[in-house]
Amino acid sequence: MGLDQPKRTGTESVVSSISPNWVTTRLDFLINWGRSNSLWPMPFGTACCAIEFMATAASRYDLARFGMERMSFSPRQADVLLCAGRLPFKLASVIRRIYDQMPQPKWVISMGACASTGGIFDNYAMVQGIDTVIPVDVYVPGCPPRPEGLLYGILMLQKKVRGETLADSSLRDEDELNRQGLRLPPSLVDELSEPFGNSIHQTRSG
Amino acid sequence: MIQEYIPILLFLGFVTANAIGMLVFSHILSPRRPTKIKASPYESGIPPLGSTRERFSVKFYLIAMLFIVFDIEVVFLIPWGVQFRKLDDPLTGFVAMAIFILVLEVGHAYAWKRGALEWD
Amino acid sequence: MNPTVQALRNKFQGAIGRGAVSCGDTIVYVKAASLSEVMAFLKEWPDQEYNYLVDITAVEYRDPERPLEMVYELFSLGRRAQLRVKVELDKSEELVVDSLVPLWNGANWLEREVFDMFGVRFAGHPDLRRILMWETYAEGHPLRKDFPLRGRFSRAEQVRQALNANPEAHYSMEEISIAEAYHEIPAEMRERLARGERGKLAEPENS
Repeated sequence: MGLDQPKRTGTESVVSSISPNWVTTRLDFLINWGRSNSLWPMPFGTACCAIEFMATAASRYDLARFGMERMSFSPRQADVLLCAGRLPFKLASVIRRIYDQMPQPKWVISMGACASTGGIFDNYAMVQGIDTVIPVDVYVPGCPPRPEGLLYGILMLQKKVRGETLADSSLRDEDELNRQGLRLPPSLVDELSEPFGNSIHQTRSG
Repeated sequence: MIQEYIPILLFLGFVTANAIGMLVFSHILSPRRPTKIKASPYESGIPPLGSTRERFSVKFYLIAMLFIVFDIEVVFLIPWGVQFRKLDDPLTGFVAMAIFILVLEVGHAYAWKRGALEWD
Repeated sequence: MNPTVQALRNKFQGAIGRGAVSCGDTIVYVKAASLSEVMAFLKEWPDQEYNYLVDITAVEYRDPERPLEMVYELFSLGRRAQLRVKVELDKSEELVVDSLVPLWNGANWLEREVFDMFGVRFAGHPDLRRILMWETYAEGHPLRKDFPLRGRFSRAEQVRQALNANPEAHYSMEEISIAEAYHEIPAEMRERLARGERGKLAEPENS
């Protein structure tokens, strides 16, 4: 909106120039209903949170009722990249490439404390939050989060998806890396990776 | 008589319209954001190494050819088997089929002897 | 105490240091210069036969005066005997020790891990490079006591290096030939492999 319009492609330009009206809002509703109720997850499970994710997908907590029982281990057919577990620096380029290879529309759920902030692993080997590497839509805290917690996060993502509109093409823009190869400015990466809470008082080295 | 086939025609039309509609509408309504990395082949998140043009063992072709031949034999065998009891002259029918199978078995024995059925 | 210690003292006299028992495990200290001979004796002598190298690791103690210790855990499968061999390395000198790969092939990765984490070089190792951290890791050796917990570079720099890491640069000739990809790799990568360089951090365009 405003003077700085992003470059629009395809249907979005048609839709945004005539929206909002009854047709486009009904179309949005239909598309968002379809997308939110069939979010095929790509489980990028690295550690303990992956086990909890498996438990959530199993019969007691059942992801199938949200349309998410069909796990996609190829990014090409996935809607949601679900990073469950800690991410070492060695794996950062892998998750970035997998995220890049997912077609739009795509969302990311960061499951657990390690994926969200680095968790208890505030050290030389772990990424302090995957949002320094890929854009995240929903953070699910916990170590690991209980299945109910993950389901709450999934419901939150569904709500986010339902709030989208075809008219806003910037929603589907690809996240780009800047010339240095980062997706955020270095000062912001440092700020996001700073220790916080209890870990401030536990540091013994600089 | 034609009236009985109208529902099938309608069904056919609906199916075609549905299939085409699904393809066309998802093509129109989908967001299109091609990037270089998105277009590269997927290899578990690492840059792909090597060509995807793998060489296949020629044994697959051989097995497929043999399969076709003996499958056609079975295709002829089945109606014969079904109608055998109703034949006017069962002996002639039996001998005719036996000759047919014998001819094909000569080929089978040759392939067997030549090692075409060995995989390694 | 494992009778091996006495047998070692009989055979190698001066090269064997003190022996100890800790929680049922026998420990014997050996001088670095005679490590290969002692290990060969332990593996091949009929009475000893320590044919299973359980682990190779290293310890750096909190007190800076104490030397860095290499720890070799051995086990004899036939005799069900355990032995821990320790080698003290003076931190003020270069940290070098003989490689045990000629004796036990499993020592290959174990020694790479010690090199990666402590910086101890292994003379005679066929392929000494980092194994846990990435090959172009430039911050040092993480398990040393003077290595800060969060690494030496800023988080932004670590993320930048991680995202610019080029996994293709780290393939060995063997891996590439298995994938029959030698003819498909870029020319400069082929040259790099021919020179024996493995792994160069891809520099971003404007750094």
